[in-house]
Amino acid sequence: MLTEDHSESMSDALLFTTICIIGLPVDVHVRDGSVYSGIFHAASVDADYGVVLKKARMTKKGMFDTNVGTEVVVDTLVILANDLVQIVTKGVMLDGGNVSRYDEEAVTCEVENHIGSLVDAKQDNQSRSPIQMENGFAHGFPRSIAVNEHEGKKLPVNHMRTSLELDCGKTNKKDFTKIEVDSASSFNDRQPGHDKSKGKADDCRQKPAVVKGKIDEKIQRLNSSHGIDTDLIQVEAVEHVSTYMISNTSDNGLSCDNDAASVKLDDRCSERSTLTDSASTNSIQGVDLISESHNLQPKSVEISTPRGTGSTRNAKEFKLNPAAKIFSPSFLHPSSITAAVPTSPNMVYVPNSSPSVSFTAIQPQVEFSTFVSRPPLPVKIADYSNVGVGNGGSGSQLSQPIIGQLAHRTQPLRYTAHYTPDLSEPAYLQTSSPAVMVGRSGQLVYVHPVSHELVHGATTISPVSARPMSNHVQFPKQQGKKSMK
Amino acid sequence: MAMMDGGNNNLEELAVGCMLSIRTTLGDEFEGQVVTFDRPSNILVLQEGFKHGPRRNIRLLKTNYIKDFTFLGQADDPLDPNNCFLDLTALQTREELAIRQAEADAERIGVGVTTEAQSIFDALSKTLPVRWDKTVIVVMNEVRVGSPYNSESVIGGTPAANDRVKKMV
Repeated sequence: MLTEDHSESMSDALLFTTICIIGLPVDVHVRDGSVYSGIFHAASVDADYGVVLKKARMTKKGMFDTNVGTEVVVDTLVILANDLVQIVTKGVMLDGGNVSRYDEEAVTCEVENHIGSLVDAKQDNQSRSPIQMENGFAHGFPRSIAVNEHEGKKLPVNHMRTSLELDCGKTNKKDFTKIEVDSASSFNDRQPGHDKSKGKADDCRQKPAVVKGKIDEKIQRLNSSHGIDTDLIQVEAVEHVSTYMISNTSDNGLSCDNDAASVKLDDRCSERSTLTDSASTNSIQGVDLISESHNLQPKSVEISTPRGTGSTRNAKEFKLNPAAKIFSPSFLHPSSITAAVPTSPNMVYVPNSSPSVSFTAIQPQVEFSTFVSRPPLPVKIADYSNVGVGNGGSGSQLSQPIIGQLAHRTQPLRYTAHYTPDLSEPAYLQTSSPAVMVGRSGQLVYVHPVSHELVHGATTISPVSARPMSNHVQFPKQQGKKSMK
Repeated sequence: MAMMDGGNNNLEELAVGCMLSIRTTLGDEFEGQVVTFDRPSNILVLQEGFKHGPRRNIRLLKTNYIKDFTFLGQADDPLDPNNCFLDLTALQTREELAIRQAEADAERIGVGVTTEAQSIFDALSKTLPVRWDKTVIVVMNEVRVGSPYNSESVIGGTPAANDRVKKMV
């Protein structure tokens, strides 16, 4: 089995050499004579040998103009087989230790088994285990795995092992690229959520397009004449930086929405939190977020329907407009900010509010519009201004949408423009309270009080009552903000 | 495995281990020992510096870019099949580290600054924490050194820090 795989793609020795130089600084000479230096990251070994470099820089200018500037450090550079002339690596240890030939084979075999094709991963569900492996492998990020396998439950202790085994269980994959990908960089943190969301949202048709679009924008390819090598590019896309991942995920999430399946929504919720979490790179928070998202699931279910329509639109925007990536940075900021804020003042805040914050952060626009358009909402809010009473009367469901809304409230920090529609809801205006004033000086300042109050709500009260509480508290402030405007 | 060895070796056994002096169409010239030749991808793997310890330079060269080569001699298969193993975790760690390092290095390079400014930056960075703020060198997060990077252009910070930077500049 192994033998066949190899003979189709590449020889053992080349494979071995390739793996040996992963993570080493290499100089890649390309057809036009230019030289790119970077960290060897991955190679495509299906017939054509293309490579992916990380943190690549052009160190020698060639004859042709390329889209890679001499000064710029390209985060991920794909060099297609047609461009490749030679790869030079210095100071490699080709020999390992005293392992027998059999072992070597075993290793190779193992590697292959472990690694699922990323490309495949993108296109279908079977990708999950390889992805998990990435997580476990690359960083042992508990949260991603937790999300993968338990959907927001607490993390498994030996995630790494688990993922490995999972991968082993998989059928043999030939694609060597996977290996490198798995071995990948810190950026892989983001992959889990991303890929997973894909896996879950089987029906996300937009993804390929999205991915492609991204590739165009982000990946700097050599300017040569050939068509896109899909494999390579997809691999690349997967490995993209945080920004990408986040925007990407939001895309995925959005497309998931089309499905309108509440279950998926839940998944997404947890995914989102993971993502946000990875954005903030705070593992502790990650855990919290995940569990939190679990708690919130009912809410998200409620929300799902309205979100669907808007989300489609949003996804389209991404697809149609490559420049939509502008969104991603801005998305990134709110998410990381919101996530980060709780960390400093009080961790308690995280469980209660961050999940909603996080997912809204990812797709604020859509939700805003949908919410505003919802007639029932204002009513509920009015109830809320009456604190607990309103909550009881309106029922548990009501509180949930509101939470969603709350999350949006926090969002305005960034999307002030979107915020305005909210003003149309009379309830808010009435709610304004002294607390409002506190936050006025600055947005960040304003966040702090919120989190404090949230803490109270979270700690003292049962989930149901806690939500209205926090909502109530938060409203005044938001209100304040609005009135400021 | 066996099948593969048999199949490949017919052609490549001769080549593996050969010492070659190669000139490429791009003008590179080097000597190396053939580690392997991969027919599907048309890549020749060479190693250099095999005389000096275990660390070598590895070249993966597309054979169609070889202009000409000279046969220098024959040696053993450089890949000892009994000695090949890979530690994926270690590889991952290595790459991660390398990328982090690269990021750190990238931050140290001022964008749009003169080489002189960069050398000043490098010199300062040996003793003090410095970073770039566009083209301004920020030392210890308080003292700013802008163009033309002489002692007059040292601005801000506590007097002591300012003096210190001035001296260094």
